[in-house]
Amino acid sequence: MAEPPLAQNGSKSGPGSVKSGKSKGGSARSKSKGKDGVPSPVTTAKDNPSADPRTMRRIIAEDPEWSLATVPLLTDLCIVHIVNNFEHNPLLDELKPKHRAKVLEKISTNIPLKVTAHLISDEGYWQRCCKARWDICDVSHYGGSWKRMYFERNLEHIIEHFVPERTNMDVVTDVLPLSGEYIKRLNIKQLLPPIKEETKKDDDTSETGSELGDGPEVDHFEFGPVFEKLPHLEEFGVTYGVKDCGMNFEWNLFQFTTRDCLLISKAVKSCKTLQKFHLCRSKVDDDKVRVLISHLLDHPSLTELDLSHNMIGDSGARAAGKLINRSRVVKMNLCDNKIGAPGALAIGHAVSKNTTLKCLDLRLNRLGDDGGQAICKALLKNSTLTDLNIGSNNMTEPTASILSQVLTTNTTIRTINLSCNRVGPDGGKQLQEGMEENSTVLEMDLRLTEAGQESEYCINQILKKNREDDRQLRLQNEKNKQSS
Amino acid sequence: MSTNGDEEETGPSTDSADPQERVEARRLRIARRVEARKRQEMGVDPDAKKDVKEELSKSRKQIEESRQRLTKLKTDGTELVTNVEVAGDSRESQRRLEEEELRRQRTERLEAEAKASAEKFEDVTKKWDSARRYQIPQDLHELLMQQRAACDQMIDEKNKLVNDLQQELKTKDDQYVKDLKKQAEDVDLMIERMEEQIKNLTKSYREELTQIDKAFEAERGELLEGNRKKWNQTMQTRTEKEVEYLKLREKRVEEYEQQLQHLRVQDAEEYNMVKIKLETDVQILEQQLQQMRATYQLNQEKLEYNFQVLKKRDEENTITKSQQKRKITRLQDVLNNLKVKLAKQEKQYKEENQGLTDDYKRITEQYQELQKKFKHFQSTDSRKFREIWMMNEAEAKDLVHRVLEADRIIHEQQLGLPFYQPDLWFMENEGPIVPRQMQGAKLSAMEVVQKVMSDQGVGPGGAVIDEEEEIQEEGETMSMAGSQGSLASDKEQAEPQETTVMAKLTPGTIKQILELLCDESGFLVESKLNKLLAPLERDERSLMKLDAIFGALAIETEDDVHLLAQYFVKPKAAPVPQDAESAGPTPAPTERTDQPTSEAGEEGEEGSFIGSEEEELQFMMEEKESVKTTKSEVPELIHPNDIFKALRTFVNEHRQQQKKERRASSMKFVLGEERDDSQDEGYWRAMGGIIPEKKERLWSALLEGFDKYSRTLDERAKLITDTDALRQQNAELRMLLHQYVNSKVNGELEIPPTKVLQLEFSENQQQTA
Repeated sequence: MAEPPLAQNGSKSGPGSVKSGKSKGGSARSKSKGKDGVPSPVTTAKDNPSADPRTMRRIIAEDPEWSLATVPLLTDLCIVHIVNNFEHNPLLDELKPKHRAKVLEKISTNIPLKVTAHLISDEGYWQRCCKARWDICDVSHYGGSWKRMYFERNLEHIIEHFVPERTNMDVVTDVLPLSGEYIKRLNIKQLLPPIKEETKKDDDTSETGSELGDGPEVDHFEFGPVFEKLPHLEEFGVTYGVKDCGMNFEWNLFQFTTRDCLLISKAVKSCKTLQKFHLCRSKVDDDKVRVLISHLLDHPSLTELDLSHNMIGDSGARAAGKLINRSRVVKMNLCDNKIGAPGALAIGHAVSKNTTLKCLDLRLNRLGDDGGQAICKALLKNSTLTDLNIGSNNMTEPTASILSQVLTTNTTIRTINLSCNRVGPDGGKQLQEGMEENSTVLEMDLRLTEAGQESEYCINQILKKNREDDRQLRLQNEKNKQSS
Repeated sequence: MSTNGDEEETGPSTDSADPQERVEARRLRIARRVEARKRQEMGVDPDAKKDVKEELSKSRKQIEESRQRLTKLKTDGTELVTNVEVAGDSRESQRRLEEEELRRQRTERLEAEAKASAEKFEDVTKKWDSARRYQIPQDLHELLMQQRAACDQMIDEKNKLVNDLQQELKTKDDQYVKDLKKQAEDVDLMIERMEEQIKNLTKSYREELTQIDKAFEAERGELLEGNRKKWNQTMQTRTEKEVEYLKLREKRVEEYEQQLQHLRVQDAEEYNMVKIKLETDVQILEQQLQQMRATYQLNQEKLEYNFQVLKKRDEENTITKSQQKRKITRLQDVLNNLKVKLAKQEKQYKEENQGLTDDYKRITEQYQELQKKFKHFQSTDSRKFREIWMMNEAEAKDLVHRVLEADRIIHEQQLGLPFYQPDLWFMENEGPIVPRQMQGAKLSAMEVVQKVMSDQGVGPGGAVIDEEEEIQEEGETMSMAGSQGSLASDKEQAEPQETTVMAKLTPGTIKQILELLCDESGFLVESKLNKLLAPLERDERSLMKLDAIFGALAIETEDDVHLLAQYFVKPKAAPVPQDAESAGPTPAPTERTDQPTSEAGEEGEEGSFIGSEEEELQFMMEEKESVKTTKSEVPELIHPNDIFKALRTFVNEHRQQQKKERRASSMKFVLGEERDDSQDEGYWRAMGGIIPEKKERLWSALLEGFDKYSRTLDERAKLITDTDALRQQNAELRMLLHQYVNSKVNGELEIPPTKVLQLEFSENQQQTA
């Protein structure tokens, strides 16, 4: 950019253009010579620079835009070259830190993972990759690691769009060794069924779909081999269903076959690092749950189990109760299932003996008063459970009366959700009485329980007080920790 | 605190006029105090807490308020959002309940229908059986029609049911669609609410933040204001104070100036006065100076004169000095000569002295040798002397004995007179004679002690006898041994009175004294000895101790003991009366006892016995007396604590004496032993004169007689011998005769000679008879 003025400043326009061309070519050479170097290639060709001091002086003095930047640095050139050829010749660790940063800034996000996966650990690059690929990127969900996010979402994407018997398995097996090290969580939101069934389904009417769906087995993606390649997997969520099917709805799109169940159970069992397992909205019924749980028993690391939005009945609940005491499960989510009173009894029995479980979600089940009472009685003996959700369970006053007893005796429970249970004003009063003697419960959801405004208000006041106390306590503890 | 104050103010007061109220007030006060104590015990002071809360700064308060508001907002918002969920839940549960009910109804209906249709079917099938019985086609047709109608009915019913169900399904579908719509709405609502919530929250957070900021700023401003106020106040006070100080200072400056003025005036006056005074002084001094000058002139003249005189003298002195110098040089020469001479002479004399000292040494050695020799010879001499004496004495005694024996024989045998033994006192004597006084001397101190200490059991008489014997033996040994005893005796002779006096201090007291000494002066005894003595009896032990003590004190003789004892008796209280009583009677007997014994020895034959008897008696008497005296008035001994002092004085005095003695003894030693030979002559003479002259004459007369008698006897003897010879001849002859008689020849003979002999013999026998 400094060339045109340089040419103008020069005494003759002709040599100026020549000079510019020359300076382009031998940039590196002329640069080192500095002030004298710029005019010299021209003048040396024609006459001695000292012979014409006038020109020389003028050029030097009146060249305000002269700059060394006329020619990019060799390092920059090298970097550009490296960037352009990164895919074929990745050079990164050999570079100096500042150069490396430049390279990382510039390389394309489309370079195959095979090259970058193990080579690049820079978060900036992966951030760019993520942002280029997805609109919404919340890195906080991935422990602040963009790389992890990229690989996890990449694998999720691959699996979600994997069509069994149609898609080549290599797609997965190629990616796995590259990303295995960085993946801690997999949250598969959909699993596509095999295509050929789909074609069949196209022929059938939607009315018969449900009947037919049960008939032919439509097995989904197999996780066993994937898990083997993921040594750090801690969290795994899967939904056996199709997302955004729109008007193409067919029942067999949402099928969780027994083989699927067996396979996923074995896979989960074999994965010893797994801590959280979510299997939601997958039509898991009693038999499958029992198969699954029989594999999950005595799992060494599993702490969280989410089986919400399934079709688990009483026998499944019994199995869950068994699991509670045969594993290290801390959080169990069984909301939106079909658990009735017998299942609740089983779970209550398990809870009363348990010392690990902290959160139990039984929202939107069919516990009824008997089940609610069983759960509440279990709370009288238990001293580890802190969160309990028994909302929308068709409970009434008797449960509330027992719960009030629990409130007076139990000092570990923190949150209770009783919403959408027809407790009634009497139950509300009983709960209020119970709350008046309690100082540990921080939250109690009494919405749509018809508990009576007065009791609700009183309970809310007490809860508020409890929360304040708890906050003070925590602050003090923090202070003590800091001081110590 | 303020609340407390309020309470106190508002509550009933103790100063109230109403007694009831006062009581109430006191009760309240007590209750309050009790409560306060409780609180203190609990360790939590709610008042303080309150204070703290009240003191919370505005910002804190604002933060707290904001927090509360925000939490409330948050909870409200979440509640609002979750309300949708809850509502959905409740709807769902409701729906499920209804569904359940409906399902139940449906199943019931289905079952009922199935039952009914089954029954109908049964009817129809039954009718088929009966149809076979119909032979008539009309009937059959009718039946068939009936059957058909029934079937149709059944199918109709079924269809109806199906229709119903389909209807229901449709409604359900509608419901589903509605639900979907509703849910979509709900979701929208939720999203809306969430957004609103977020908006609200951000807004309120921002608001609260600004408010908190404001609060902080306000607080800061307040603080600033307060501090500025304080600052200003302090500044103002400072300026005020400074002004005050300034004023004060000015005042003080004025004061000082006034003082200065005053002082200046005063000083000026003083100065004037002093000046006048000094001027007068100067005048006086000038006058004095004039005077001094005059005297000075005078003195100068005088001194000049003196100077002249002295000059002349000086000249003279120089002349004399030179003369003296010359003299000095001359004298120096002389002195040098003399010094040389002196040195020479000194050397000479030193040599001489050396020689002399060598001589002296040699001589003293010789002298010592000589002395040794002398001693040796002395001892040998004395031994020889004694031996010779003994020999002579033995010889003399033998002679005397023989003479006396002869005398006795003469007297008894020849004269037929009773023989009276002359006095043979000297016969008792053995060895050289020693004067009697010497014999009575010195017991060794130890013996005295022994005696005194063992006095207890032994009777006085026995003791005295023992003592006497001992004394004699002692005396002899002493005299034999020589020097010391005699020396002591000499000394004793010088002051016999005293010692004897002291000696009679009675053994009792002495014993007491000795015991005292023994007990108190353990320091003089060696510790080793003490150990050795431990197992011995008390008496023996004390004896041994005393021995050691005496050794230490150089006490050797009885006298020393007595002398020592003297120091132990209280000088004033006891001695005066005792001297009067005990010293009075005692000296006389002792003198008597002392002298008589010695005199008695020389006097007569029985003197010694008598003397000893007398002595014995006297001793007994004396003993009794002394016992009495001791009993009546025991001489008061000094206090044990004074013993040391007494010992010291004793040693001091005694030592001097002893030194003197020693010197004397050495002198004596040189002189040698001068035996008292005054009595020797008497002794020997007595021995010689054992036969008086009368007796000699008698003896000579007897000799003559005896000579004659012997002559006659000689003759007779001669005759006897003759007769004997004759008798012998006779016997021989008889023998021969007998021989002859008894020989065998005799038998052969007719007349045996034996018969003749027998006859002769019998004749002879007759003759002799």
